Amino acid sequence: MGDSQYSFSLTTFSPSGKLVQIEHALTAVGSGQTSLGIKASNGVVIATEKKLPSILVDEASVQKIQHLTPNIGVVYSGMGPDFRVLVRKSRKQAEQYNRLYKEPIPVTQLVRETATVMQEFTQSGGVRPFGVSLLVAGYDDKGPQLYQVDPSGSYFSWKASAMGKNVSNAKTFLEKRYTEDMELDDAIHTAILTLKEGFEGEISSKNIEIGKIGADKVFRVLTPAEIDDYLAEVEESAAATRRTGKIGNEEEESKMMTGGRNYTRLSIDSQKVSGSVCTPRWFFSRERGVKISPSHHLLICFHKR
Amino acid sequence: MSRGSGGGYDRHITIFSPEGRLFQVEYAFKAVKAAGITSIGVRGKDSVCVVTQKKVPDKLLDESSVSHLFPVTKYLGLLATGMTADSRSLVTQARNEAAEFRFQYGYEMPADILAKWIADKSQVYTQHAYMRPLGVGMFCTHFPTYLHIYTSTFAMVLGMDEERGPLLYKCDPAGHFYGHKATSAGMKEQEAINFLEKKMKENPAFTYDETVQTAISALQSVLQEDFKATEIEVGVVRADNPIFRSLETEEIEEHLTAISERD
Repeated sequence: MGDSQYSFSLTTFSPSGKLVQIEHALTAVGSGQTSLGIKASNGVVIATEKKLPSILVDEASVQKIQHLTPNIGVVYSGMGPDFRVLVRKSRKQAEQYNRLYKEPIPVTQLVRETATVMQEFTQSGGVRPFGVSLLVAGYDDKGPQLYQVDPSGSYFSWKASAMGKNVSNAKTFLEKRYTEDMELDDAIHTAILTLKEGFEGEISSKNIEIGKIGADKVFRVLTPAEIDDYLAEVEESAAATRRTGKIGNEEEESKMMTGGRNYTRLSIDSQKVSGSVCTPRWFFSRERGVKISPSHHLLICFHKR
Repeated sequence: MSRGSGGGYDRHITIFSPEGRLFQVEYAFKAVKAAGITSIGVRGKDSVCVVTQKKVPDKLLDESSVSHLFPVTKYLGLLATGMTADSRSLVTQARNEAAEFRFQYGYEMPADILAKWIADKSQVYTQHAYMRPLGVGMFCTHFPTYLHIYTSTFAMVLGMDEERGPLLYKCDPAGHFYGHKATSAGMKEQEAINFLEKKMKENPAFTYDETVQTAISALQSVLQEDFKATEIEVGVVRADNPIFRSLETEEIEEHLTAISERD
């Protein structure tokens, strides 16, 4: 940045005390494609939409989720070219740390250094802020971690977060679904469901990308085949609970064991409920004696007799 | 927020507008269209072909010097659509970069790495409000000019990769780059892309001849005129001859004949 002949910053305070260029950068992020991340008890998953400008684009040539180190991955919402710059700088910083200390860089340190770069571009002469927000997913000695870094350079650790076009719906959805003891596979399912929420068009392994890191501390981007498998699981569990009917017999119940999770179909007679005001969750646990924990997903289907 | 519009400078240098847009980048895209040329690139099963119009504005001009198709290395080609001066400058730098790559790493620079390098260069100029001295003119000028978007050019990079086969990449002034099965740039970009989407919908595996003919007929259809062989430039790389080359007039003539007979 020293070679810029602008000696003054382009990001200056407005009379109301705001840094307007950063606000605009956040708007640019908000019009980017949705991406999200979820921290599970034994890993982290990050995912993004991958909508390409035309069917002529070779989707195999585009990879939005990138490695920073073997155990840290990153995804973005906003301007792709800016993201590439940050990835390159972060990788270099990680490597410099490794060379100096002979150990892999901790996630927090890498996030801090990346955030510092982003902050510098909001204060240095002759440059504009980065038009990206990053979700950094890593697993080191402190366990699984998920950080979000904004164009201003501020960063926070998140249990689950989303950014981009569909941020408010996605975050609401995540707030409802998130549990502390979620496992990595559950988190991947939840990530897919969240992406599906605001997805325009048909979701498939060609228009989303998913990256995960588990206790093995190896960050990996899932292949399209693996994404197809997860999509099929999600679809099957959704379809199974869509089918209305009487309380299942043993056969049907075991048919619905998907992904190692149990689904129980319970039906209620509306007459019993009339006059009482309660949430379905409470009703089931009270009236049916079924222990419902927050990690149970409830899908309510109404069917008319 | 009295400075909501960035003081009007968001149109002059690359800072964000209130909607989060970069006007200078968008204007650079428009400048490419103003050049009045359309280009097409098509990737087949074992070959890549790029086609562009060859407009010679003056009969006294030496047509061989009017070209938008540049070999970057023996095996990599670059088709530049947009402002000619920017294109030439970009090609010179790309040639240098590719040669250094070969020297440093011991193998030929792949098309996608070159495309990434070009795109990263464009990105720098979308983020830094650079004051770039104009090369030779630096010593003569007292007033350095503010150069904002460096490359008002779309660059299509084509080459054969040993492992991945034919590659076609397109880089734009904003710094984006993607690999394409087929693509277009320039004045009639959108019409050409619509045409190509229809052709490539079933993911056909074009032979060399089909690739070239698809590219040429796409250009003809979009510009709604039949070309003479001297009015277009065609560049190809193919598996049985990975050297990037520009087709001779006779070869172009053959393809044009094949197209008109087919119709």
